[in-house]
Amino acid sequence: MVFPISKIVKVLRFLFPLLISLAIWELLATFHLLDPKLVPSPSRITLTMYSLTVPQPTLLVYLYRSIYRFTIGYGLGAILGIGVGILMGINKHFYRMASPILSLLISVPTIAWVPLFLITVGIGDETIILAIFLGCFFAIVYNTMNGIRSINKELIWASKIMGAKKTTIFSKVLLPGASVSIITGLRLAVGYSWRALVGAEMLASISGGIGYLVYAARAFNAVNIMFTGLVIIALGGLIIDNLVLGALEKKTIEKWGMIKKRV
Amino acid sequence: MRKGRIKLKAINITKIFDEGKRKVAALENFNLEVRENEFTVIVGPTGCGKSTFLYLVAGFEEPTKGEILLDGKPLTKPGPDRGFVFQEPNLYPWRTVLGNIMFGLEIMGVPKEDAVKKAMYYVNMVGLKGFENAYPHTLSGGMKQRVGIARALAYNPEILLMDEPFGALDAQTRKVMQQELIKIWERAKKTVVFVTHSVIEAVYLADTIVVMTARPGRVKGIINVNLPRPRSYTDEKYLSIRKKVLSLLEEEVTKTLAIQRKL
Repeated sequence: MVFPISKIVKVLRFLFPLLISLAIWELLATFHLLDPKLVPSPSRITLTMYSLTVPQPTLLVYLYRSIYRFTIGYGLGAILGIGVGILMGINKHFYRMASPILSLLISVPTIAWVPLFLITVGIGDETIILAIFLGCFFAIVYNTMNGIRSINKELIWASKIMGAKKTTIFSKVLLPGASVSIITGLRLAVGYSWRALVGAEMLASISGGIGYLVYAARAFNAVNIMFTGLVIIALGGLIIDNLVLGALEKKTIEKWGMIKKRV
Repeated sequence: MRKGRIKLKAINITKIFDEGKRKVAALENFNLEVRENEFTVIVGPTGCGKSTFLYLVAGFEEPTKGEILLDGKPLTKPGPDRGFVFQEPNLYPWRTVLGNIMFGLEIMGVPKEDAVKKAMYYVNMVGLKGFENAYPHTLSGGMKQRVGIARALAYNPEILLMDEPFGALDAQTRKVMQQELIKIWERAKKTVVFVTHSVIEAVYLADTIVVMTARPGRVKGIINVNLPRPRSYTDEKYLSIRKKVLSLLEEEVTKTLAIQRKL
């Protein structure tokens, strides 16, 4: 596969400020301006990352655990969130019932639920998955609903006069019409869920998970491992957002001119 | 002038909008006959209910009183026996030019191959050959409205309703579109009801001009335009008809302004 020059330039433009910051950080560490027990140098962190991956793929096992939980929680949140959002978007009665509840629940930070779940659901995967689910659910519901409700009435009329039935209007006008909002919701939700995952893993994981790794490292004063975890957390969120949802966006709403191309 | 049979008949139409505290009568005892294959243009001052009338014919709104007959049958709901062109093109951004124009045929269940063939005929008719795979956001305002016209014609409705379709275009494009529309109309052999507030446009396009009163809208006068096509905007007969329409309108515009001042 050949990468076009413009793509390489784009990647470099993204990496440049990061590389500069890393270089400064490394220099500060080299000249002993940072206490290595509190802030290890990037090269130390890389070394830790290596030692956690190569002899035994501990890091990958931890990461796999997190991704597994994330996929289930986010997947459920996306499916149910879009479903409930559509219902609220097309049905007035359902909207009136659900809207006040939604506005109340949407303002509760997900992590605040976790202590409750620890008692009701128990420590372990279920609680973490539930937190991830809640993390994304409300944003997806809200954006899907808004997307459906804000579709231009005339777009619906145009299909009605051509004889479209309700099912056709739904699948060929309402759904694609709401796609900008739905995808925006899905993207926002990735961030929320990822944060919820890390937080919940710190409180509720028995074993495994990248959040657990960071939290557990505290017991051994292993700052290196904490930083390693933080890097993985940052990269993980970025990759899911860009590779998965960015590609979806490019194939749909960007091609249709419903959002401006991202520069 | 050839007198065709009556295609569309509005009998004693009254439409009252309930705007909370006050009720606004948009139309009151509005009567109109539109003959088959004729180009009828409705002109009137702003807010006289001319667009409302078109919405009633389309079935987007329901009359408070009265009845509208198409080929002798009362109209209640929107349906594919009518085609509608909005002021804003209202194309589906997620469909290509061809996809937009095909939509009506798709809804009817026409096999894909046939639908493409038929739609392509209209792509050519509106002069968009070579753009059939373009997405709407890449087109100019005039081109978008051509797609809007083709979309409304492609499923072969009995009557074409046009609600100030060129109102959002610049003066030059508007003139070109008027000329194009007449060519399309001559080829498609359709009954057209066209709403505008431009007298210049009305006299250029119409077989019959219906001048409406200020709100609540009624028929103020009907003027037959017996001029051969293509018409010239500077021809003496054209100008004298323009004068006639203008003088009818002027009184009503003055009334409208008086109403607006009171508000």
